[in-house]
Amino acid sequence: MRLLIRTVALTSLKELSRRRVALLFVFLLPLAFFVLRIEVHWQALRFLAIGVGWAIATLALFSHVASRRIDSRLAVMGASPSALFLGRQLALVTLGLITAGAYFVVAAVSLDVPRLAAVALLLATTVLIAAPLGALVSMLIPRELEGALALLAIMAMQLLADPASTAARLLPFWSTRELSSYAIEPVGVEVLHSGLLHAAVTLAVAFALAWVVSVLRIRTVKLVEPT
Amino acid sequence: MTDSWTRSLAGHLIDCGVEPAEAQNMAADAAAEAEIAGTAPESLYGPALAYAATLARAARPVDGDPLDRATGRVLLRLDGVSKRYRRRWVLRDVSLTLRGGEVAAVVGANGSGKSTLLSICAGATRATRGVVQRTRRVGFAPQQHGVSAWLTANEHFELFGAVEGMNRSRATTVGTGLARQLGWNPRPRQIADQLSGGTQQKLNVVLSELHRPDLILLDEPYQGFDQESYVDFWDQVYAWRDAGAAVLVVTHLLHDLQRIDHVLELSPVDDA
Repeated sequence: MRLLIRTVALTSLKELSRRRVALLFVFLLPLAFFVLRIEVHWQALRFLAIGVGWAIATLALFSHVASRRIDSRLAVMGASPSALFLGRQLALVTLGLITAGAYFVVAAVSLDVPRLAAVALLLATTVLIAAPLGALVSMLIPRELEGALALLAIMAMQLLADPASTAARLLPFWSTRELSSYAIEPVGVEVLHSGLLHAAVTLAVAFALAWVVSVLRIRTVKLVEPT
Repeated sequence: MTDSWTRSLAGHLIDCGVEPAEAQNMAADAAAEAEIAGTAPESLYGPALAYAATLARAARPVDGDPLDRATGRVLLRLDGVSKRYRRRWVLRDVSLTLRGGEVAAVVGANGSGKSTLLSICAGATRATRGVVQRTRRVGFAPQQHGVSAWLTANEHFELFGAVEGMNRSRATTVGTGLARQLGWNPRPRQIADQLSGGTQQKLNVVLSELHRPDLILLDEPYQGFDQESYVDFWDQVYAWRDAGAAVLVVTHLLHDLQRIDHVLELSPVDDA
């Protein structure tokens, strides 16, 4: 199973790396968000993180939709549906963390951030949530256009919702907003704790749901050996 | 030399289930044709054993019983298999027993449920009714979307090989060897999206047999093949069969049918 997870992750990374225009947009989208708000540092950081989350979630959506048929075929041959899911997620998280690392450097150089480690934390948690979120949307809405529009709606709500409202806490990247506040504003450690708790719960729920739905979607019928 | 080859051919034809008198006539005809051509029959037809198998298949009526040939254990059994999507039946009461060393063809008009049947045999679709029993080691080549557009042939071999625990080097060696048997030499850096339709199908077929399965399921796998590749493909099917595998092929090319052991003809289900 370890060999299969590693091979699926490596081949997924190769597939993604060849979609150069898509990758370009993955890098440019957060940058566009960031540059548009560069004058207001806390907003620039927040938009940057949401941009990274949106880009990685969309990449995950397209990756999982594109691999559905070939994963079904591999499952017929005996591949573990869990290994296929974990391998693809590993590739997406790796790519997401590389993107996050690049934008951490951009934020560190361009912004006046009192708590720089919190920026790394918020970018990393955003990526970790975005990869299974995109996968989950791809399984519930298994068409690229419709799925991308669903993610767009989620991200738009995320940017527009009042963070103090209960509804905002139900959105997947509420933690990103909390952690960006902790990074820039003079707030107490309780903001860090609430952000991390939200991130952990959201990550666990998104990952578990995406995993279960993925296994249900591509698992094969158990057939007995002929007698 | 000629007499020995002719006797050997007649003997092998009888072993293949051809009536003795007819076998003698066929062997004598082959020897006579070689004499007219001014060459030894072995040079013209190849080894008597291999030519006997070809002649025996050609001599068998299309709707006849399977060839009298040693076959292995049952690898696929369908008994009264039916499939319904919502209120519409797409398959009704399909039965088939396929053993190792046999080839079966599924034929029928568009919409008769051929691909659905193959998907049921693969385990990707659940039958609404009936019994499906199948060996665990199966290779499956779907009609469409069987390969990833952004991966090279070697990366496909690596991915599919990993399912059976094959390392990269072994998977690439085996995959390249199988591709060459279909007259294709994969280029290391060429992704599937850049291959012609026929070559993509060759990749699709190679992936179905990479792990040496006991049962190979192929859904119209030769779309886009040129004539030479088409012949290579069928030679490959018979090589799998002779090695003990069972092969189930969805096809619509009727002249294939005289070369196979079972023909399963499906008709669109009339709900009325």
